[in-house]
Amino acid sequence: MTELIAEIPAWFPKAAEFMTFSPELAWVGTLCLIMLAPLAIGRDARMIAGLAVVGIAVTAFFTLKVMGIISTEGPKTGLTPDLAGGMLIADNLSLFFKMLLLVFLVGISILWMSVSAAQEDDAPEFFVLLIGSALGMSLMVSTHNILMMVIAIEFASLPSYAIVGFNKHKRISAEASLKYMIFGAVSAAVMLYGASLIYGFFGTLDVTQIAANVGPVLAGGGANQLLVGLAMFCVFVGIAFKISAVPFHFWCPDAFQGAKTEVTAWLSVASKAAGLLLLMRLVNVFCVNAGAEVLHGVAVVIAVIATLTCTLGNLAAYKQTSIKRMLAYSSIAHAGYMMAAAAILVDAGTVESFTAISTVLAYVVVYMLMNLGAFGVVALVESKNGDDDSITAFAGLGWTSPALAIPMLFCLVSLVGIPPFAGFITKWYLLAALGEAASGLYWALAIVIVINTLISLWYYMRVVVQMFLKESDKPAIEVPMSGTLLVNACGILLIVILVFSNPLKERADRYSAGLFSPVPTKLADQGSADSLAQSIPLDNIAAPQEGKHGG
Amino acid sequence: MFEIGLTHYLVVATLLFVMGIFVMITKRNAIGILIGVEMVLNGANINLVAFNRYNGMSNIDGQITSLFVIVLAAAEAALAVAICMNFYKNLNTVDVDHGDTLAG
Repeated sequence: MTELIAEIPAWFPKAAEFMTFSPELAWVGTLCLIMLAPLAIGRDARMIAGLAVVGIAVTAFFTLKVMGIISTEGPKTGLTPDLAGGMLIADNLSLFFKMLLLVFLVGISILWMSVSAAQEDDAPEFFVLLIGSALGMSLMVSTHNILMMVIAIEFASLPSYAIVGFNKHKRISAEASLKYMIFGAVSAAVMLYGASLIYGFFGTLDVTQIAANVGPVLAGGGANQLLVGLAMFCVFVGIAFKISAVPFHFWCPDAFQGAKTEVTAWLSVASKAAGLLLLMRLVNVFCVNAGAEVLHGVAVVIAVIATLTCTLGNLAAYKQTSIKRMLAYSSIAHAGYMMAAAAILVDAGTVESFTAISTVLAYVVVYMLMNLGAFGVVALVESKNGDDDSITAFAGLGWTSPALAIPMLFCLVSLVGIPPFAGFITKWYLLAALGEAASGLYWALAIVIVINTLISLWYYMRVVVQMFLKESDKPAIEVPMSGTLLVNACGILLIVILVFSNPLKERADRYSAGLFSPVPTKLADQGSADSLAQSIPLDNIAAPQEGKHGG
Repeated sequence: MFEIGLTHYLVVATLLFVMGIFVMITKRNAIGILIGVEMVLNGANINLVAFNRYNGMSNIDGQITSLFVIVLAAAEAALAVAICMNFYKNLNTVDVDHGDTLAG
């Protein structure tokens, strides 16, 4: 026994490092448990859902422990295993996102219980795919190494493709998952090719090192400049696919319409938020380390894509007849708003404040509530209407089922960004952050966002008009209590958050501070690529940055 | 006789990439598109291994990365073929042009 212990190699993680990643370990344990559970407790949907929620709770417990909220040892923010570099990071941002995903998973599970559980034979598979994609998304936010990023994106995507096609016998479901899968596979392939070129130029896939050395490589000449730019754009394509940024958004409405509505709710928030926060993290490390000459181009590319994304999303949403499709385009538009914050980061990289990341965090929290509420009502109405997802199916809902129509109203108005709902305050933070950045580019972005908000008003109001101004002879729809409670809780929380917006802002500020970012080595200082490669893992795992800790 | 160097590998990888993209754009058959994806991934693999070998690096990051890429490609192919099967069961074809129910 003692011999065994003596043989543990040096690279093997220590117990403390294992503790830092206990949420992931619990997460994987939950997955295995749900996969094996049918052997022991059968395939009953309610039992499996209960087991999944218990697993999520255990994972949340470990996450809070690592965050230092319920542990006596104090916070562990900014930790990373000694030899992992930027491979796996447990800092404020990634832990916060993990908690958000876990809370959202519980919401989706409740929605699933009240909508689909009764006629579902494949509950274990559903939860394995759902929780598996959640793990992939949490890994996306915990890395700034391109290899790990690719693996995490694939880890999040593969279960998503399968879960979109979960209604095996429905034609649109099969079509949606095929389209999602083909777009995903193509963008992943392009991303990997870009990554291979980046490896060729920089001899590493760590974004910190790449950013530090991008200036000298670009100075090398025209061909290098073009190729490096192209390779980076290829990598960006993979992230943009997850965010569904225009012009990589084509999968989004189709996949969202063909999937079950609770899956749509999941993908519309979780996969986009993961992509956005990954983008924020990469842009942040990039901007801290790269020279000013590279940054302007990055800011312009992001600003242009953000503008295109929110404008096209809003314009396309206008003519939709299916409410799921309309909300899909609305989610594209919201991704565009959040992307605008990434453009601020480029300039703020040198500044100490992390306003941009804090803005996106607050936005994501509120966006989760709005979409869970809106898609929740859609799922409940649809389940009683024989899968009819047209906007006209909502006619007269305000008079027949006010318990569903009122939270829907709250969520839609909040999605527009009008007071008295939380969507207003987060949009306000975003505009304020853009205004503070004080340069022509950001003023233009702020104007684009305001104009887009006006456009979006009309299509959200179409649903409200259907609900409250149209007559319907349909009887009131009977929906399960848990579903009604869930959507009403979302609606009420939206008001509560507006009234008490300070705690949200404080937390967003706190969790966006202290991002893990090691000090890179300059290629020029090192002389050759050879010594650069050697020096990366050992010398430069800088002391974790001091962040303010959660409590 | 000439010696095979980095450039030769890069040319092969670039050819694979271009052919893969061409296949993805022109093929209407879902399996055909997936073959294009595999070609691009293998182009990336050749790049990674060649850069690692010829750029005089002391670590083997490139080779390790290419192993990961192979595993990813295998996982993706397994799932993709299952999704194509499901599509075929519902529509009796794997022609992506027939997936036109969802549009707008």
